[in-house]
Amino acid sequence: MSDTQWETYEVFHQSRRGRPHEHVGSVHAPDPEMALQMARDQFARRLDCVSLWVVRSSDIAQTDYQDPNFFSQVFDKSYRDPKAFDAPARTEPAES
Amino acid sequence: MNIPSGLPSEPLLGMIVALGDDELVLGHRNSEWTGFAPILEEDIAFSNIAQDELGHSLAWFSLHEQLTGKTPDWMAFERNWRDFACCRLVAYPKGDFAYTVVRQFFFDAAEQVRMKSFAQSSFDPLRQLSVKILAEEAYHLMHSQGLVERLGDGTEESHRRMQAAAETAFPQSLGLFEDFPAEADLVKAGVVKPSRELQEEWLTEIMRVLTRATLVVPVRKKNGTFEPECSPDLGGRTGRHTDDLRQLVSDLQHVYQLAPGQPW
Repeated sequence: MSDTQWETYEVFHQSRRGRPHEHVGSVHAPDPEMALQMARDQFARRLDCVSLWVVRSSDIAQTDYQDPNFFSQVFDKSYRDPKAFDAPARTEPAES
Repeated sequence: MNIPSGLPSEPLLGMIVALGDDELVLGHRNSEWTGFAPILEEDIAFSNIAQDELGHSLAWFSLHEQLTGKTPDWMAFERNWRDFACCRLVAYPKGDFAYTVVRQFFFDAAEQVRMKSFAQSSFDPLRQLSVKILAEEAYHLMHSQGLVERLGDGTEESHRRMQAAAETAFPQSLGLFEDFPAEADLVKAGVVKPSRELQEEWLTEIMRVLTRATLVVPVRKKNGTFEPECSPDLGGRTGRHTDDLRQLVSDLQHVYQLAPGQPW
């Protein structure tokens, strides 16, 4: 049997302007335009939403879980960690 | 709320019921895809659209209630099916997915044209309600139009099925523009535009999309406008329904009728 599935698109959802788009899941669709419509139905009907992105899943380059060295920390690099000062959780806009 | 004197109240109420019935019955038909649509995403999309149509029907019946005191529940669950005024198109069985998509597209395009025409209505509540419905309907149209274009101009099988669906649904859809009872009075009072004019606008709209979708329906072009070349499937607006509506309404009212009037 031939594969009749449409390709998948990853869906990124933004709840408010200025917030990051966050990955929420994926949809099947024949093209980007329909993918946005599908994403609207699957992810934007019950969540606050101001913007959606869709990206063809096959267009995403990803690391390999089987590659043990990509993220490895063989040497002690703790001297690089910014431990000596407190970073605020968020920054305030500069006074103008 | 009262109907302003000078507006023909019986025909106006009749039209409001007819528009509510179109939405109620098509919403019910679409809900029959829940769990069965060919694609998971479409299953959810069609269930959403079905709920939207039911919401529109509730809006029409709420307006009707303000004018007559009859509740939306009474309209949906206690009325005899012969008193429904929906066009025949919406009551036909859901068929295959191609038929569902084409019927939905014809319906969405018609609703778009009709709601836009209400922007000039002499009856305020029609103007207000049409603005709300249009906001949602624009998305329905985008959805069904997108599917018509892609499935019509898709694979050999999808084209064949869509073409067959278009041939079936086209004469049925002309029933959307069957004159409402005493429509001439409504036109004269500035409540509505004549259905015939709406049909002309609708034909221009759908032909643009059908051409892109490589689908053919029986029309001819005369002086720049399209005219249907088939006999329209009329009767719904005056209660001459097919047996499909009787069955649908029987399903719709089944649970309610087990204990009429019981609170949920």
